[in-house]
Amino acid sequence: MAIGDVGIVSAPRPVTLRNRIRVLLDREQFLGPMFVTPALILIVLLVAYPFCMALYFALSNAFIGRPSHLVGLRNFINLWDSDAFRQTFQNAFVFTGTAVACKLVLGISLALLLNQQLWFKRLIRGAVLLPWVIPTALSTLGWSWMFNSLYSVVNWTGIALGIMHPPGPNWLGQQYYAMTAVVAVNVWRGLPFFAITILAGLVSIPKELYEAAEADGAGSVARFWYVTLPMLRPVLAIVILFSTILTFSDFNIVYVLTHGGPINSTHLFATLSRQIGLESGRIGEGAAISLYLFPVLAFVVYAQLKFVRKEA
Amino acid sequence: MQATTRRHFLTTTTGAGLAGILATGIPPARAQQREITYLCWNNFAPLMDKKLAEIAVRFTKDTGIKIRVDHINTEQQPAKYASEVQTQAGHDLVEMRMHFPWLYEPQLVDVGDIVADLEKKYGKVIASATETARVHSTWRAVPQYHGMFVATYREDLFKKAGLKIPDTWEDLYVAGKELKKMGNPVGIPINQNLDSISTAGPVLWSLGGMEVDRDGKTVRINSPATEQLVEWYKKLFRDCMEAEVLSWTNASNNESIQQGKAGWIHNPVSAYIIAKQKKLPTADLINHHRTPGGPNGRHETDVPRHIGIWKFSKNVEPAKEFIRYLLGRPETYNEYIMSADAFNLPVFEKLQDHPVLKTDVKYAALRSEGVQYHCYGWPAPPSDKVQLITNSFILPIMLAKAVTGTSTKEAVAWADREMKKIVAS
Repeated sequence: MAIGDVGIVSAPRPVTLRNRIRVLLDREQFLGPMFVTPALILIVLLVAYPFCMALYFALSNAFIGRPSHLVGLRNFINLWDSDAFRQTFQNAFVFTGTAVACKLVLGISLALLLNQQLWFKRLIRGAVLLPWVIPTALSTLGWSWMFNSLYSVVNWTGIALGIMHPPGPNWLGQQYYAMTAVVAVNVWRGLPFFAITILAGLVSIPKELYEAAEADGAGSVARFWYVTLPMLRPVLAIVILFSTILTFSDFNIVYVLTHGGPINSTHLFATLSRQIGLESGRIGEGAAISLYLFPVLAFVVYAQLKFVRKEA
Repeated sequence: MQATTRRHFLTTTTGAGLAGILATGIPPARAQQREITYLCWNNFAPLMDKKLAEIAVRFTKDTGIKIRVDHINTEQQPAKYASEVQTQAGHDLVEMRMHFPWLYEPQLVDVGDIVADLEKKYGKVIASATETARVHSTWRAVPQYHGMFVATYREDLFKKAGLKIPDTWEDLYVAGKELKKMGNPVGIPINQNLDSISTAGPVLWSLGGMEVDRDGKTVRINSPATEQLVEWYKKLFRDCMEAEVLSWTNASNNESIQQGKAGWIHNPVSAYIIAKQKKLPTADLINHHRTPGGPNGRHETDVPRHIGIWKFSKNVEPAKEFIRYLLGRPETYNEYIMSADAFNLPVFEKLQDHPVLKTDVKYAALRSEGVQYHCYGWPAPPSDKVQLITNSFILPIMLAKAVTGTSTKEAVAWADREMKKIVAS
């Protein structure tokens, strides 16, 4: 027998269920889908199904507990006849635009501040997150007391400091003040999300870039403008994207503070949708209100994500 | 004989049990004891909830039917009810405020048999409760109690300034001017909440006006009566109130009089009851009088509350039994009403002069002689369109526009357009 013919032959494994599973788990084409399936099931049940139901409702004359049929785009078209809806449409853009802009500017400022060497840095960073962590309905209730016409601590402080004339602004009773109040609370609540996410972006910027810029004679403004900001662009794009969507769909702040008033001046899509869909039973119209901006938001998501991929 | 192993025993008994359940369609627990559930609001008179829990325990003891009472905030009711109806699952019994039986009509069991029994004992159901619980001639819910909007005023201030208790809305304007000068303005909310409608409605009705006519189709808001209403609100806002009423919630007028600011508010008696319970100094200074009237009489906003049974309930009969137990036994119903300290009063004609009104001299004004109780949107039937008009707060928005600078004609025309769009939709 030639030596070359001698090979090492491993003994075949017995065909048991355990071994079969082991073999299956070694195959990528099986293991991949297996990991994805639970998430997929959750998305289908908790996102896709409710979304399809909402879409069906929006295209139908659904009324609570009564038979319904499809009416095409009638709900979407009829909504334009409503003064309250047109006002809501305008409010949504004013509210979102102002709040996101404020959160962006203040968020970058706060992140830059938190990036400095501070005493009690960890404690401060934790404390900054508090508005984001507290349940919105609860914190907004606190704000409603602060803006309350009878007990307003904001007005009391302003009057005590001599910067407001008694009785002070009627925060929740006048149209522009009420919008200012709801935007202020949204900014207060959303600022930590901006600040902490941007801070994460700031920390990841290589120090060498700043050293090189400094060596080239760049001042602090130039370093921010030509190093920090360009490096933060992908992070900012994502933060703005998320915040825009969340701010457009805000509900708690307006519902607790103003109920959409005064004179519908703070109604948002979510609060008006509740008023029409749940309180008045017109689920079809309510769903149409909540889905009105879906195409616009879908486009924003697409454009932003495309931008982020390009940047990457 | 082969010995029974543990595995064999478990397999046999589980299989037999499952086969039994599948064959009968009844789980064993249900076969042993019936159980019903009741979704009730968080009562503004919390002692009434406590009493309800006590009565529920007695009901189980007396009938063998278990009952679970859950509570929900009044603001959360619409969303919860909508989800129960859409999923056809949830509680058996539900508390229904004002027009709810109209909104959920196809989903509610006919409870005419219970109402007929109650009317035999206690007399006819009062008009506001009938208008809201009887939908297209069928009782879709059983009226249980109601609370009406009356005037709550600072008796000490009225005496000090020698002011006449307002009998008409014009009298209120006269008194209100003095109250504002004293630093205790009139407090009527003009904002997007139901309390705002609760006052605007009675003023409009007392002037002979209405939002929508009895046919439920003809919008009547653009009328001289509405213009008078707007003009009255304008002068009241200017001379008797403060701008804060534009931001008020349903609770603000209560807080204002309890904290010693407002001199006159229009509200159920809760402001006084809470002041009394919390031993606030203002409790002794507050008293009540009937809602002022006008050329077309005295009208009051009423909030009747009913109990309904969902059609999808598998326990309709036990649920009916509970309603009979709670409302049909005079001693139990009486005990239930007494626990609310006059916040919730009986809805039956023979019980209008209920002993609860004699428990405090300040409830004397709550006796209902010569009062016409109505719910929002009266005299139109509370169809879904009329309810949308209410829920869209068109009446208070019209008034808010007018008192903040929009001309009367323009404000009324706006309300007319919005109401017509809803009625035509």
